Amino acid sequence: MHELAIADRLLDRAVSAARDAGAERVDGLTVELGTATHLVPEQVAFCLDAVAEDTPAEGATVTFERVSARGECSCGWHGELETLAETVAGVPDRRCPDCGAEVELTAGRECRLKTVEIPEAPTTRKTDQTDQT
Amino acid sequence: MTYHATHDVDRLLASLARTITRLQPRQPLPPDRRRGPLRTHRFGHESDPEAGGSGDTAEADVLAAVRETAGDVHERLGHDHDVFAVELLGATGAGKTALLESLLGDEGPTPFAGERVGVVTGDVAGTDDADRLRALDVPVVNVTTGRDCHLDPERVDSALDDFDLDRLDVLVVENVGNMVCPADFPLGTDVRAVVVSPTEGDDVVRKHPLLFQVCDVAVLNKGDVAAAVGADVQRMADDVDHVAPETPVVRTSAETGAGIDELSAWLVDRRRERVHSHG
Ligand SMILES: [Zn+2]
Repeated sequence: MHELAIADRLLDRAVSAARDAGAERVDGLTVELGTATHLVPEQVAFCLDAVAEDTPAEGATVTFERVSARGECSCGWHGELETLAETVAGVPDRRCPDCGAEVELTAGRECRLKTVEIPEAPTTRKTDQTDQT
Repeated sequence: MTYHATHDVDRLLASLARTITRLQPRQPLPPDRRRGPLRTHRFGHESDPEAGGSGDTAEADVLAAVRETAGDVHERLGHDHDVFAVELLGATGAGKTALLESLLGDEGPTPFAGERVGVVTGDVAGTDDADRLRALDVPVVNVTTGRDCHLDPERVDSALDDFDLDRLDVLVVENVGNMVCPADFPLGTDVRAVVVSPTEGDDVVRKHPLLFQVCDVAVLNKGDVAAAVGADVQRMADDVDHVAPETPVVRTSAETGAGIDELSAWLVDRRRERVHSHG
Protein backbone atom coordinates (compact mmCIF):
# COMPACT_ATOMS: atom_id res chain seq x y z
CA MET A 1 0.00 0.00 0.00
CA HIS A 2 2.61 2.56 -0.94
CA GLU A 3 -0.13 4.71 -2.44
CA LEU A 4 -0.71 5.95 1.11
CA ALA A 5 2.82 7.31 1.37
CA ILE A 6 2.41 8.91 -2.05
CA ALA A 7 -0.99 10.38 -1.12
CA ASP A 8 0.55 11.98 2.00
CA ARG A 9 3.17 13.68 -0.09
CA LEU A 10 0.76 14.87 -2.77
CA LEU A 11 -1.54 16.25 -0.10
CA ASP A 12 1.28 18.19 1.58
CA ARG A 13 2.26 19.75 -1.71
CA ALA A 14 -1.29 20.64 -2.70
CA VAL A 15 -2.12 22.21 0.66
CA SER A 16 1.08 24.20 0.92
CA ALA A 17 0.73 25.44 -2.67
CA ALA A 18 -2.79 26.59 -1.86
CA ARG A 19 -1.58 28.37 1.28
CA ASP A 20 1.25 30.00 -0.65
CA ALA A 21 -1.35 31.28 -3.10
CA GLY A 22 -3.44 32.68 -0.27
CA ALA A 23 -6.17 30.05 -0.40
CA GLU A 24 -7.48 28.19 2.60
CA ARG A 25 -8.75 25.15 0.84
CA VAL A 26 -8.12 22.89 -2.13
CA ASP A 27 -11.16 21.97 -4.22
CA GLY A 28 -9.45 19.82 -6.79
CA LEU A 29 -6.11 18.54 -7.97
CA THR A 30 -4.72 17.12 -11.17
CA VAL A 31 -1.95 14.54 -11.04
CA GLU A 32 0.22 13.31 -13.88
CA LEU A 33 0.92 9.62 -13.34
CA GLY A 34 3.45 7.72 -15.42
CA THR A 35 2.81 4.19 -16.61
CA ALA A 36 6.30 3.07 -15.53
CA THR A 37 5.36 3.33 -11.85
CA HIS A 38 3.54 0.97 -9.56
CA LEU A 39 0.94 3.56 -8.74
CA VAL A 40 -2.67 2.83 -9.62
CA PRO A 41 -4.89 5.91 -10.08
CA GLU A 42 -7.89 4.44 -8.27
CA GLN A 43 -5.79 3.51 -5.27
CA VAL A 44 -4.03 6.87 -5.09
CA ALA A 45 -7.45 8.57 -5.28
CA PHE A 46 -8.77 6.33 -2.52
CA CYS A 47 -5.80 7.10 -0.28
CA LEU A 48 -5.98 10.82 -1.01
CA ASP A 49 -9.60 10.76 0.04
CA ALA A 50 -8.58 9.18 3.33
CA VAL A 51 -5.59 11.37 4.18
CA ALA A 52 -7.37 14.57 3.09
CA GLU A 53 -10.02 14.16 5.73
CA ASP A 54 -9.87 17.01 8.27
CA THR A 55 -7.43 18.91 6.07
CA PRO A 56 -8.05 21.90 3.76
CA ALA A 57 -8.24 19.40 0.88
CA GLU A 58 -11.07 17.34 2.32
CA GLY A 59 -13.52 16.36 -0.39
CA ALA A 60 -11.30 17.67 -3.19
CA THR A 61 -11.75 16.02 -6.56
CA VAL A 62 -8.74 14.23 -8.02
CA THR A 63 -8.11 13.93 -11.74
CA PHE A 64 -5.37 11.77 -13.18
CA GLU A 65 -3.59 12.20 -16.48
CA ARG A 66 -1.70 9.10 -17.54
CA VAL A 67 1.77 9.75 -18.93
CA SER A 68 2.95 7.11 -21.38
CA ALA A 69 6.43 5.73 -21.01
CA ARG A 70 8.89 7.12 -23.53
CA GLY A 71 12.48 6.19 -24.08
CA GLU A 72 15.62 6.82 -26.04
CA CYS A 73 18.22 4.36 -27.21
CA SER A 74 21.93 4.69 -27.85
CA CYS A 75 21.22 3.65 -31.46
CA GLY A 76 19.30 6.89 -31.96
CA TRP A 77 15.76 5.61 -31.62
CA HIS A 78 13.41 7.54 -29.40
CA GLY A 79 9.68 7.50 -28.90
CA GLU A 80 6.79 6.02 -27.00
CA LEU A 81 7.39 2.52 -25.67
CA GLU A 82 5.14 -0.42 -26.37
CA THR A 83 3.70 -2.20 -23.36
CA LEU A 84 4.79 -5.69 -22.40
CA ALA A 85 2.45 -8.46 -23.44
CA GLU A 86 1.59 -11.10 -20.82
CA THR A 87 2.23 -8.77 -17.90
CA VAL A 88 0.08 -6.48 -15.86
CA ALA A 89 -1.35 -3.77 -18.06
CA GLY A 90 0.74 -0.79 -18.90
CA VAL A 91 4.26 -1.88 -18.00
CA PRO A 92 6.56 -0.56 -20.71
CA ASP A 93 8.62 -2.83 -22.92
CA ARG A 94 12.14 -1.52 -22.39
CA ARG A 95 13.57 -3.11 -25.52
CA CYS A 96 14.40 -0.76 -28.38
CA PRO A 97 12.13 -1.55 -31.34
CA ASP A 98 15.04 -0.88 -33.70
CA CYS A 99 18.00 -2.68 -32.13
CA GLY A 100 16.65 -4.62 -29.11
CA ALA A 101 18.91 -2.93 -26.55
CA GLU A 102 17.45 -1.59 -23.32
CA VAL A 103 16.33 2.01 -23.73
CA GLU A 104 16.63 4.81 -21.19
CA LEU A 105 13.30 6.06 -19.88
CA THR A 106 12.64 9.73 -20.66
CA ALA A 107 9.04 9.77 -19.41
CA GLY A 108 6.70 7.54 -17.47
CA ARG A 109 8.11 7.71 -13.95
CA GLU A 110 6.22 10.80 -12.83
CA CYS A 111 3.73 11.29 -10.07
CA ARG A 112 3.47 14.99 -10.47
CA LEU A 113 1.03 17.47 -9.10
CA LYS A 114 0.07 19.47 -12.17
CA THR A 115 -2.61 21.84 -10.93
CA VAL A 116 -4.66 22.56 -7.85
CA GLU A 117 -8.08 24.18 -7.95
CA ILE A 118 -8.40 26.82 -5.27
CA PRO A 119 -10.92 29.57 -4.52
CA GLU A 120 -10.67 32.72 -6.63
CA ALA A 121 -10.14 35.10 -3.73
CA PRO A 122 -8.66 34.36 -0.32
CA THR A 123 -11.55 33.04 1.71
CA THR A 124 -12.45 33.82 5.25
CA ARG A 125 -13.15 30.59 7.05
CA LYS A 126 -16.72 30.39 8.23
CA THR A 127 -17.07 28.68 11.56
CA ASP A 128 -19.54 25.87 11.56
CA GLN A 129 -20.82 26.55 15.04
CA THR A 130 -22.68 29.62 16.06
CA ASP A 131 -20.91 31.72 18.63
CA GLN A 132 -21.34 30.24 22.05
CA THR A 133 -19.72 32.37 24.66
CA MET B 1 13.81 18.48 2.42
CA THR B 2 10.76 18.02 4.54
CA TYR B 3 7.72 15.89 4.25
CA HIS B 4 5.29 14.53 6.72
CA ALA B 5 5.09 10.78 6.37
CA THR B 6 4.09 10.16 9.91
CA HIS B 7 0.43 10.84 10.05
CA ASP B 8 -0.90 9.22 13.13
CA VAL B 9 -1.53 5.60 12.27
CA ASP B 10 -4.74 5.31 14.25
CA ARG B 11 -6.17 8.41 12.65
CA LEU B 12 -5.30 7.06 9.23
CA LEU B 13 -6.82 3.69 9.87
CA ALA B 14 -9.93 5.36 11.23
CA SER B 15 -10.30 7.58 8.20
CA LEU B 16 -9.67 4.63 5.89
CA ALA B 17 -12.36 2.73 7.72
CA ARG B 18 -14.73 5.65 7.34
CA THR B 19 -13.94 5.84 3.65
CA ILE B 20 -14.65 2.16 3.26
CA THR B 21 -17.87 2.51 5.25
CA ARG B 22 -19.10 5.19 2.91
CA LEU B 23 -18.86 2.70 0.06
CA GLN B 24 -19.06 5.54 -2.39
CA PRO B 25 -16.18 6.25 -4.70
CA ARG B 26 -16.37 9.96 -4.06
CA GLN B 27 -18.61 12.15 -1.99
CA PRO B 28 -19.92 15.29 -3.63
CA LEU B 29 -18.46 18.45 -2.18
CA PRO B 30 -20.47 19.79 0.71
CA PRO B 31 -22.50 22.81 -0.43
CA ASP B 32 -20.42 25.34 1.47
CA ARG B 33 -17.30 24.07 -0.28
CA ARG B 34 -18.62 25.03 -3.70
CA ARG B 35 -19.11 28.70 -3.22
CA GLY B 36 -17.31 31.14 -5.38
CA PRO B 37 -15.35 30.85 -8.58
CA LEU B 38 -12.19 28.76 -8.66
CA ARG B 39 -8.77 29.48 -10.01
CA THR B 40 -6.13 27.04 -11.08
CA HIS B 41 -2.65 27.04 -9.63
CA ARG B 42 -0.13 25.44 -11.98
CA PHE B 43 3.07 23.80 -10.87
CA GLY B 44 6.28 24.42 -12.75
CA HIS B 45 7.71 21.79 -15.00
CA GLU B 46 11.27 20.93 -15.84
CA SER B 47 10.61 20.99 -19.58
CA ASP B 48 8.45 24.08 -19.34
CA PRO B 49 9.89 26.37 -16.67
CA GLU B 50 7.97 29.39 -18.00
CA ALA B 51 4.59 27.74 -17.48
CA GLY B 52 4.23 29.63 -14.25
CA GLY B 53 3.69 28.10 -10.85
CA SER B 54 6.49 27.24 -8.56
CA GLY B 55 9.76 25.50 -8.37
CA ASP B 56 11.58 22.59 -9.88
CA THR B 57 10.37 19.14 -10.87
CA ALA B 58 10.95 17.57 -7.47
CA GLU B 59 8.78 20.18 -5.84
CA ALA B 60 5.69 19.03 -7.73
CA ASP B 61 6.65 15.44 -8.55
CA VAL B 62 6.63 13.27 -5.47
CA LEU B 63 8.48 10.40 -7.13
CA ALA B 64 11.14 12.75 -8.49
CA ALA B 65 11.51 14.03 -4.93
CA VAL B 66 12.05 10.47 -3.68
CA ARG B 67 14.74 9.97 -6.34
CA GLU B 68 16.34 13.27 -5.35
CA THR B 69 16.51 12.21 -1.71
CA ALA B 70 17.96 8.87 -2.80
CA GLY B 71 20.61 10.89 -4.62
CA ASP B 72 21.39 12.71 -1.37
CA VAL B 73 21.79 9.38 0.45
CA HIS B 74 24.09 8.23 -2.34
CA GLU B 75 26.20 11.37 -1.91
CA ARG B 76 26.42 10.85 1.81
CA LEU B 77 27.43 7.20 1.55
CA GLY B 78 29.57 7.06 -1.54
CA HIS B 79 31.10 10.50 -1.75
CA ASP B 80 31.29 11.72 1.84
CA HIS B 81 32.19 8.39 3.44
CA ASP B 82 33.35 6.07 0.65
CA VAL B 83 30.85 3.37 1.60
CA PHE B 84 29.73 0.87 -1.05
CA ALA B 85 26.02 0.22 -0.63
CA VAL B 86 23.91 -2.72 -1.77
CA GLU B 87 20.15 -3.09 -1.48
CA LEU B 88 18.57 -6.54 -1.31
CA LEU B 89 14.89 -6.70 -2.10
CA GLY B 90 12.32 -9.33 -2.88
CA ALA B 91 9.40 -11.13 -1.32
CA THR B 92 9.40 -12.57 2.17
CA GLY B 93 10.75 -16.10 1.86
CA ALA B 94 12.89 -15.40 -1.20
CA GLY B 95 15.90 -15.96 1.01
CA LYS B 96 17.34 -12.45 1.27
CA THR B 97 18.58 -12.94 4.82
CA ALA B 98 20.07 -16.38 4.14
CA LEU B 99 21.78 -14.98 1.07
CA LEU B 100 23.20 -12.15 3.09
CA GLU B 101 24.42 -14.62 5.67
CA SER B 102 26.24 -16.45 2.86
CA LEU B 103 27.76 -13.23 1.56
CA LEU B 104 28.94 -12.16 5.01
CA GLY B 105 29.90 -15.58 6.33
CA ASP B 106 33.41 -16.94 6.58
CA GLU B 107 32.94 -19.93 4.28
CA GLY B 108 34.08 -19.78 0.70
CA PRO B 109 34.74 -16.63 -1.32
CA THR B 110 32.98 -13.63 0.12
CA PRO B 111 32.86 -10.22 -1.56
CA PHE B 112 33.51 -8.26 1.60
CA ALA B 113 36.09 -10.37 3.40
CA GLY B 114 38.04 -8.31 5.90
CA GLU B 115 35.81 -5.28 5.39
CA ARG B 116 33.69 -3.43 7.87
CA VAL B 117 30.09 -4.16 6.93
CA GLY B 118 26.95 -2.60 8.34
CA VAL B 119 23.39 -3.72 7.71
CA VAL B 120 20.09 -1.88 7.67
CA THR B 121 17.03 -4.11 7.77
CA GLY B 122 13.52 -2.95 7.05
CA ASP B 123 10.63 -4.70 8.72
CA VAL B 124 6.95 -3.91 8.89
CA ALA B 125 7.16 -5.12 12.47
CA GLY B 126 9.59 -7.08 14.56
CA THR B 127 13.32 -7.68 14.36
CA ASP B 128 13.68 -11.32 13.27
CA ASP B 129 16.00 -10.60 10.39
CA ALA B 130 18.00 -8.11 12.41
CA ASP B 131 18.51 -10.65 15.18
CA ARG B 132 19.75 -13.27 12.71
CA LEU B 133 22.23 -10.83 11.23
CA ARG B 134 23.50 -9.55 14.56
CA ALA B 135 24.59 -13.12 15.18
CA LEU B 136 27.11 -12.53 12.37
CA ASP B 137 28.73 -9.87 14.52
CA VAL B 138 28.00 -6.94 12.21
CA PRO B 139 26.30 -3.72 13.30
CA VAL B 140 22.63 -3.89 12.37
CA VAL B 141 20.09 -1.09 12.46
CA ASN B 142 16.50 -2.23 12.24
CA VAL B 143 14.01 0.18 10.70
CA THR B 144 10.37 -0.56 11.42
CA THR B 145 8.29 0.86 8.62
CA GLY B 146 4.90 0.53 10.31
CA ARG B 147 2.10 1.00 7.84
CA ASP B 148 4.51 1.37 4.91
CA CYS B 149 5.45 -1.72 2.99
CA HIS B 150 8.83 -0.45 1.86
CA LEU B 151 11.84 1.50 3.04
CA ASP B 152 12.26 5.00 1.72
CA PRO B 153 15.42 7.08 1.36
CA GLU B 154 14.47 9.34 4.29
CA ARG B 155 14.32 6.36 6.63
CA VAL B 156 17.63 5.03 5.33
CA ASP B 157 19.18 8.44 5.83
CA SER B 158 17.99 8.46 9.45
CA ALA B 159 19.27 4.93 9.99
CA LEU B 160 22.71 6.05 8.81
CA ASP B 161 22.90 8.35 11.84
CA ASP B 162 23.24 5.21 13.96
CA PHE B 163 26.45 4.15 12.23
CA ASP B 164 29.92 5.59 12.38
CA LEU B 165 30.15 5.90 8.60
CA ASP B 166 33.86 6.66 8.69
CA ARG B 167 34.38 3.21 10.13
CA LEU B 168 32.28 1.44 7.52
CA ASP B 169 33.32 0.06 4.13
CA VAL B 170 30.13 -1.61 2.98
CA LEU B 171 26.47 -1.10 3.78
CA VAL B 172 23.81 -3.67 2.94
CA VAL B 173 20.17 -2.61 3.08
CA GLU B 174 17.67 -5.43 3.31
CA ASN B 175 14.32 -4.03 2.25
CA VAL B 176 10.91 -5.08 3.50
CA GLY B 177 9.67 -8.31 1.90
CA ASN B 178 7.62 -6.89 -0.94
CA MET B 179 7.78 -7.09 -4.72
CA VAL B 180 5.71 -4.05 -5.64
CA CYS B 181 6.18 -0.99 -3.51
CA PRO B 182 10.00 -0.74 -3.42
CA ALA B 183 10.12 -0.31 -7.20
CA ASP B 184 9.12 3.33 -6.89
CA PHE B 185 11.42 4.02 -3.94
CA PRO B 186 15.13 3.84 -4.72
CA LEU B 187 17.21 4.17 -1.57
CA GLY B 188 20.45 5.61 -2.91
CA THR B 189 22.52 2.42 -2.89
CA ASP B 190 25.09 1.63 -5.58
CA VAL B 191 23.39 -1.65 -6.40
CA ARG B 192 19.80 -2.84 -6.22
CA ALA B 193 19.62 -6.63 -6.19
CA VAL B 194 16.25 -8.36 -6.46
CA VAL B 195 16.11 -11.86 -4.98
CA VAL B 196 13.42 -14.31 -6.08
CA SER B 197 12.92 -18.00 -5.53
CA PRO B 198 11.09 -20.72 -7.47
CA THR B 199 8.77 -21.20 -4.49
CA GLU B 200 7.10 -17.96 -5.58
CA GLY B 201 6.18 -19.62 -8.88
CA ASP B 202 8.23 -19.43 -12.06
CA ASP B 203 6.02 -16.62 -13.35
CA VAL B 204 7.22 -14.33 -10.55
CA VAL B 205 9.36 -12.28 -12.93
CA ARG B 206 6.63 -11.47 -15.41
CA LYS B 207 4.30 -10.63 -12.57
CA HIS B 208 6.68 -7.92 -11.37
CA PRO B 209 8.41 -6.59 -14.48
CA LEU B 210 8.92 -3.05 -13.18
CA LEU B 211 10.95 -4.27 -10.23
CA PHE B 212 13.34 -6.13 -12.51
CA GLN B 213 13.62 -3.05 -14.69
CA VAL B 214 14.77 -0.86 -11.80
CA CYS B 215 17.19 -3.41 -10.35
CA ASP B 216 20.82 -3.95 -11.33
CA VAL B 217 20.93 -7.71 -10.88
CA ALA B 218 18.36 -10.48 -10.56
CA VAL B 219 19.28 -13.25 -8.14
CA LEU B 220 17.37 -16.47 -8.79
CA ASN B 221 17.81 -18.06 -5.40
CA LYS B 222 16.91 -21.48 -4.02
CA GLY B 223 17.71 -23.18 -7.31
CA ASP B 224 18.01 -26.43 -5.34
CA VAL B 225 14.26 -26.55 -4.67
CA ALA B 226 13.10 -25.68 -8.20
CA ALA B 227 12.43 -29.27 -9.25
CA ALA B 228 10.60 -30.03 -6.01
CA VAL B 229 8.13 -27.19 -6.57
CA GLY B 230 7.86 -27.82 -10.31
CA ALA B 231 9.37 -24.48 -11.29
CA ASP B 232 11.42 -23.78 -14.39
CA VAL B 233 14.37 -21.58 -13.46
CA GLN B 234 15.29 -21.17 -17.12
CA ARG B 235 11.88 -19.63 -17.73
CA MET B 236 12.55 -17.14 -14.92
CA ALA B 237 15.91 -16.25 -16.45
CA ASP B 238 14.32 -15.85 -19.91
CA ASP B 239 11.67 -13.60 -18.41
CA VAL B 240 14.30 -11.34 -16.86
CA ASP B 241 15.95 -11.09 -20.27
CA HIS B 242 12.56 -10.23 -21.76
CA VAL B 243 11.43 -7.52 -19.33
CA ALA B 244 14.85 -6.09 -18.43
CA PRO B 245 17.36 -7.00 -21.16
CA GLU B 246 20.36 -5.45 -19.43
CA THR B 247 19.75 -6.83 -15.95
CA PRO B 248 22.16 -9.74 -15.40
CA VAL B 249 20.91 -12.97 -13.85
CA VAL B 250 22.78 -14.92 -11.17
CA ARG B 251 21.49 -18.31 -10.04
CA THR B 252 22.24 -19.10 -6.44
CA SER B 253 21.38 -21.35 -3.59
CA ALA B 254 22.12 -20.00 -0.17
CA GLU B 255 21.46 -23.54 1.03
CA THR B 256 24.08 -25.38 -1.07
CA GLY B 257 26.31 -22.37 -1.69
CA ALA B 258 25.90 -22.65 -5.45
CA GLY B 259 26.37 -19.36 -7.30
CA ILE B 260 27.48 -17.41 -4.25
CA ASP B 261 30.95 -17.05 -5.74
CA GLU B 262 29.44 -15.69 -8.98
CA LEU B 263 27.34 -13.18 -7.09
CA SER B 264 30.39 -12.22 -5.02
CA ALA B 265 32.45 -11.66 -8.15
CA TRP B 266 29.71 -9.54 -9.67
CA LEU B 267 29.51 -7.38 -6.53
CA VAL B 268 33.29 -7.01 -6.45
CA ASP B 269 33.20 -5.86 -10.09
CA ARG B 270 30.49 -3.35 -9.40
CA ARG B 271 32.46 -1.98 -6.53
CA ARG B 272 35.57 -1.65 -8.64
CA GLU B 273 33.58 0.16 -11.33
CA ARG B 274 32.23 2.53 -8.75
CA VAL B 275 35.68 3.37 -7.46
CA HIS B 276 36.70 4.15 -11.03
CA SER B 277 33.65 6.19 -11.91
CA HIS B 278 33.99 8.23 -8.74
CA GLY B 279 37.69 8.78 -9.30
ZN1 LIG C 1 18.20 0.96 -30.29
